[in-house]
Amino acid sequence: MLFNKRTERYFIWVFFPLALLMPLFLAENTFFVSKLTSVMIFALFVMSLDYLVGRCGLITLGHAMFYGLGGYLFWMIAPEYEAVNFWVYTFYICTIAAAVALVIGFLVLRTSGIYMIMITLAFAQMAFYFFSDSIEFGGNDGLFIYVKPETSIFGLSFFDLDNPIHFYYLCLLSLFNTLVFFRVLIRSRFGRVVDAINENPGRTTALGYNIFMYRLMSYVIASALGAYAGYLFTLQYGFVNPSMMAWTTSGSALVMSILGGMGSIYGAILGTFAYEGLHYLLEHLTEYWMLFMGILIIAMVMIFKNGIAGYMEKLLEKRI
Amino acid sequence: MDTSLFLVQLINGLQYGLLLFLIASGLTLVFGVMGILNLAHGSMYMVGAYLAWYFVEHTGSFALSAIISAVIALIIGVVVERTLIRQLYRRNHLDQVLLTIGMIFVFNALQSLLWGNDPLGVAVPAALSSAVPLTDVLEYPVYRIFVALLCIAIAVVMYFMINKTRLGMLIRAGESNREMVECLGIDIRQLYTIVFAIGVMLAAVAGVVAAPMSSIVPGMGEHILITCFVVVVIGGMGSIKGAFVAALLVGLVDTFASVLVPQMSSMMIYIVMAFILLIKPQGLFSS
Amino acid sequence: MLKFNTLRTAVAASLATLTLSAPVLASQDSIKVGVMLPFSGVYGALGDATRNGMKMALQENAAQLHGRKIEYIEIDTEARPERAPEIASSLLSNSEADFIIGPVHSGVAMGMLKVLRGKDTVMIVPNAGAGPVTGPLCSPNVFRTSFSSWQPSYPMGKVALDKGYKKVVTMSWNYGMGKESLDAFEESFTAGGGEVVKKILVPFPKTEFQAYLSEIASINPDAVFVFFAGGGAVKFVKDYDALGLKGKIPLLGSGFLTEGTLEAQGNSAEGILTTLHYADTLDNDLNNKFRASYKEQFGKSSDIYAVQGYDTGLMIASAVNELKGDISDQKALIKALETTTVNSPRGDFTFSAAHNPVQNIYLRTVENGENKVLEIASPALADPGRGCKL
Repeated sequence: MLFNKRTERYFIWVFFPLALLMPLFLAENTFFVSKLTSVMIFALFVMSLDYLVGRCGLITLGHAMFYGLGGYLFWMIAPEYEAVNFWVYTFYICTIAAAVALVIGFLVLRTSGIYMIMITLAFAQMAFYFFSDSIEFGGNDGLFIYVKPETSIFGLSFFDLDNPIHFYYLCLLSLFNTLVFFRVLIRSRFGRVVDAINENPGRTTALGYNIFMYRLMSYVIASALGAYAGYLFTLQYGFVNPSMMAWTTSGSALVMSILGGMGSIYGAILGTFAYEGLHYLLEHLTEYWMLFMGILIIAMVMIFKNGIAGYMEKLLEKRI
Repeated sequence: MDTSLFLVQLINGLQYGLLLFLIASGLTLVFGVMGILNLAHGSMYMVGAYLAWYFVEHTGSFALSAIISAVIALIIGVVVERTLIRQLYRRNHLDQVLLTIGMIFVFNALQSLLWGNDPLGVAVPAALSSAVPLTDVLEYPVYRIFVALLCIAIAVVMYFMINKTRLGMLIRAGESNREMVECLGIDIRQLYTIVFAIGVMLAAVAGVVAAPMSSIVPGMGEHILITCFVVVVIGGMGSIKGAFVAALLVGLVDTFASVLVPQMSSMMIYIVMAFILLIKPQGLFSS
Repeated sequence: MLKFNTLRTAVAASLATLTLSAPVLASQDSIKVGVMLPFSGVYGALGDATRNGMKMALQENAAQLHGRKIEYIEIDTEARPERAPEIASSLLSNSEADFIIGPVHSGVAMGMLKVLRGKDTVMIVPNAGAGPVTGPLCSPNVFRTSFSSWQPSYPMGKVALDKGYKKVVTMSWNYGMGKESLDAFEESFTAGGGEVVKKILVPFPKTEFQAYLSEIASINPDAVFVFFAGGGAVKFVKDYDALGLKGKIPLLGSGFLTEGTLEAQGNSAEGILTTLHYADTLDNDLNNKFRASYKEQFGKSSDIYAVQGYDTGLMIASAVNELKGDISDQKALIKALETTTVNSPRGDFTFSAAHNPVQNIYLRTVENGENKVLEIASPALADPGRGCKL
């Protein structure tokens, strides 16, 4: 079975049908559709990070570089006043981001632990300042995307990206596909080796695996997906800004991943929705939302030993 | 660049580096002994600066304010370690990261509640407010020289404390083998509380001494935090000696990059860090 | 038992989703004012002052609102540009705000514009000076009550020439507002025969100025022109003094250098020359009254940000008054706003075709911890509005 934990199955059966129906309830309120869309986009980003951090044991604080890169790449390679094909540009952007990740991964994966956190941060900061300091890329104020891509395949177009509901379903589909993709990956031979490396790198090397190559491939995959999330984010409002690459973006993604339950993949969705939901509620309640946010984060670390997913599994998995 | 400007910039770089060392030393100490990555370290720097301002306003004496602030920081350190950090020793490192991020939120909110969001300033203490002329135009304030000397003094004290005292011996032992220390009948938890409190105090003291030469604003902690991490990582996590060398290196690189390659100056310390880690993946002085 | 747990999981999983759809209650009669300002972080103080000023104006002029109440929906932008489109669209389509006020930060302004340009809601910018807002990206429904970054800096070029300065070093953070300010100064300064011998752009938000100041000292220009604001301005002015440049090389600046920062800068700020569209000591009845009641209500001195917020409130009140409380017709509302003369503490001002204030720019100097007006550096100065087709 693809989803071997019953908690995960329950979660999928609750979350995706609900998400599928949600626009019916919210049809009049386009903002909540957009809000849920952006949370799902970020959940996709957090999921790619969760795979790296939780499954591969590669902790990075520079993942936001690819998130921002997804947006900037689109601006760079797409013509300004012409609608391009969404799928073709998805392919381009993911490929270029993967190529960048291949080079950077080749360098950063020589280090590990805290040093890897810092060297990934270093590359992300370089990218951040590169875009933030250069006038050609809009500098600190960012850039506008004027024309959104069209989404036809073989002449059939299912999504109109200017329609928030259509865009919502595109993002939901992307999120679901990413979840399935990671599950398939984790269950594949490749994924088992990655798990083995995370458990015991020494022994896995002794078994004859080139652990560097496995890590590099994982890094490339996660980075390409991170760029895809950034590409979606950029398309949602047509706005790119270097703050997408700021270390605080990487930091909050990491927080959401830990909160959701590291390495559980589906926990990324839980963590992102919990964090963003709390943030949204608190900032509408009080100007001092930070105080409550901080206290809640501290409380959650204390209560949930393995994130929200871990807590739910503890409740559900004991009796089989 | 002529010689005199070069020398001036050298002094600027060293002075900035020494201050960075003071801020980063607590971070590396806590990581080295306890294995805890304290992201709220920058917040303690901010708290130190705000406390300095508050007590200067109320007592009128900078020295008195510095002492009170340091004591308060020690107390905060003990309380935070006893109530929060202690719960997480047996947990994943990333849980500790999450906890300290939560603390950043809380400290920022408290700062805003207690002291508001206006930028604040502390006057340089009168006794140190004169300046030494360097060139026709440029002077060097005595206070900044004093701060540089203070940082060196603290570095020396830390060196002796770690290498010559009983507490230092325990710290070194705790770094290399904490089970063994426990087996020898030493209460490692006590040691952790002390080390964490000292780390917090060092950050706060850095905030206090920096207060008269900087602006006290919300968010000042996060900005310095990243630079501190660069210092600590270049030096090798947990190495005080490494932090000292790395801080001076970062201070000099940043200063000279600002003048020589202004277009790239914001990236320069990260380029240097990436370069060093590619050659020495554990930093310059890893144990 | 199993069922119970399943239920709990379901509830937990959907909780975050459901809470998002909490209904927003609103009374039919009130005018909804969405506020997008930073209330935390580096720009927090600016957001506070702007909001205070705006509320004060709407309270004082409640009579002009024809019985309509004001409902505020306030959201902290955290000065994070990447969140701006989302918050703007929340105020636009979720809260259905009639006016959206914000922001402080130019990057956030760009993100807001992306969503709000050409929409039914009126957007009023109470601070962000980014040129494009009332330039290439101008829009009928977008107004600004503050300034374009060109405005406060342009007149300083002439002031510098009048003082006999020929060689000037300019310096600011490397971001839109900073660069636009330096360009505006350079435009008028070089047109009159001055020379900018070096332009220093410091990475934002770096505040380690010592290296740059040492360099300036070695160049030894006739004067230095800078743009910095908030905490950076405090640090810069203190460093300028501490390193001995003060008193040897005159310091000129866009007025933000000494706004809301004088107390923290202390003695170091004395004698700095700046140009801005306001000064604390402007001696007119409105300003005196404004300052007194602001101090009384909020327990601290007002600053430029409070004035800009105040004028935003005045502008809303006067438009509502002109339309006798009925603001449902957007065309009429925009017309009313466009033709308003705002009786501001900074002196009366009107709006240019691009919806930017046409206002006096004052030359000020810091004296005894106050920005003292020396003269009007440029009367009724209008931003050229380059690229705007309105």
